[in-house]
Amino acid sequence: MRFLLTLLLLPLLAHAEPATLVRASELKAQPATDAATLAQLAADAAVDASERSGGWVRVKTQAGAEGWVKMLALRYGGSGAAKRGDSGISQAINVARTGASGTQVTTGVRGLDEADIKTARPNPVELKKLEGYAESKPSSASFADSGKLKAQRVEYPK
Amino acid sequence: MKLLVLFFFIGSAHAQFNLDRLNINKLIDTTKNVVKATSDIAEPEEIQIGKDMASRLLGAAPLARDENLQRYVNRVGRWLASQTERPDLPWQFGVMEAPQVNAFAVPGGTIFVTRGLVERMKSEAELAGVLAHEISHVLRKHHLKAIQKGAQTQLAGDALNQALKNQRADVRDKLVSFGAEMYTRGLDKSDELEADRYGVVIAARAGYDSYGLPAVLQTLQAMNAQDSALALMFKTHPAPGERLTALGDTMQKTLDAYASQPQLAERFFQTVKK
Repeated sequence: MRFLLTLLLLPLLAHAEPATLVRASELKAQPATDAATLAQLAADAAVDASERSGGWVRVKTQAGAEGWVKMLALRYGGSGAAKRGDSGISQAINVARTGASGTQVTTGVRGLDEADIKTARPNPVELKKLEGYAESKPSSASFADSGKLKAQRVEYPK
Repeated sequence: MKLLVLFFFIGSAHAQFNLDRLNINKLIDTTKNVVKATSDIAEPEEIQIGKDMASRLLGAAPLARDENLQRYVNRVGRWLASQTERPDLPWQFGVMEAPQVNAFAVPGGTIFVTRGLVERMKSEAELAGVLAHEISHVLRKHHLKAIQKGAQTQLAGDALNQALKNQRADVRDKLVSFGAEMYTRGLDKSDELEADRYGVVIAARAGYDSYGLPAVLQTLQAMNAQDSALALMFKTHPAPGERLTALGDTMQKTLDAYASQPQLAERFFQTVKK
C-alpha cells in the first residue's frame, strides 16, 4: 500500500531536486530582494529546489518552509553520493584508466574524447557542410525579432 | 678625428639603447625571428588557421545530421555574435554528433557544441549562454594567443611565421595539430572565467535571460563528476561550482538586471528533438 502511494506521488515530486546552499541565505516569500524574509537558512542547509524565476529558485526547507533563495547560492545534486550515475557512455566506449594520473584512454567508438582529438584527421567534407549552415546577419536579426529579443547596450565588467 | 666621431656615434647609440626599451625589443625580435604579437596576426590568417583547426575537430566528430537544428543554432549564434566587437567575422556554428558534454571555440569565428551538451539544455537562453561563452573566447583571442605562445617553443625560428602564412605544408600541419591538441589541454583558468563574464554580457546584449549560462553550469554541477561524458570538459575547465561562485562574485548585478528577459524554452524544444 505504501509502495502504491509512493508511485502515485512520484509525478508530484518529479520537479523537486535536492540541492544545498553554499552560503547563508534568506528565505524570501517572493522572488525579490525586497520581499518578506520567512527564515534564515544556514550555509550547507539541504533543500528541495523546484522552478526558477529570474535569479531566484523556489525551495522547500527540511523544516517544511517554502520560499525563494538566490539561484547562485544553490548547488544541485545534494551530497556527492546522491548524484546521478554515469550517462552510460563509459560502457559504450570502453574507457580504460591508465596509471595514477587517471588519464582516460578511449578505444573503439569515435567521439570527442582526448584521444579522438589527438588522432583526428582533417574532414573537409564536414567543413564544407558547416559553411553551408551559416546564417547572415539580417536573417538572424529577424529570427531574434520573432522571439521578441531586443538588442541593447550592456557593458563588460571592469 | 675620425675615431672621435666614431666614439660619439657609439656613445649616442648606447644611450638610446638604454633609454628606449622599445628599440631593444625590436632588435631582439628581429634577431630571433620571433613572430609579432598576436594583435599583429592578421585577421585573414586567423580565419584560415581556424578553418584548418575546425576541419581537424570535425575529423574527430562529424556534424549532427539535423539541418533544422544546425540552422537554429546558427541563427542564435549569429545574432549573439552581431552584438560583439567582432560582428563581421565569418561566424559559423555547428552541433557535433558526440555524446560527450562539451563546446569549442575556434579562432576566426567557428563555434562547436556537442549534441550531448545541447540535449542537457532547457531553453534557447541556455544555448545562448553557452554560445556566448565560446564567442567570448574568439573575441578575446584566447586560443590564438595560446597557440602562438605554445607554438613558439615547438617551431624554431621563422617556421611559425611561415606556418601562419601557410608557406610550408609540413610546419603548417604541425601548427594545426598543435592548435587542435590545445582542446585536450585547455586554456588558462582566467581565460575561462573571463569568457563566463563576457558570455553573460553578450547574452544580455542579445536580449536573452542572463541566467542561461549559470543554469547550464548548475546542470553540469549536478552531474556526477566521474561521468565519462564530462571527462574532457572537466579536465579543460574549472569546476562548474567554482565558475558559479566566480559569476556570483563579479556578475550578480548584471545577472539580476537582465534576468527577466526571454528564455524561449518552447522555441528551443520545438527544434531540439530529444
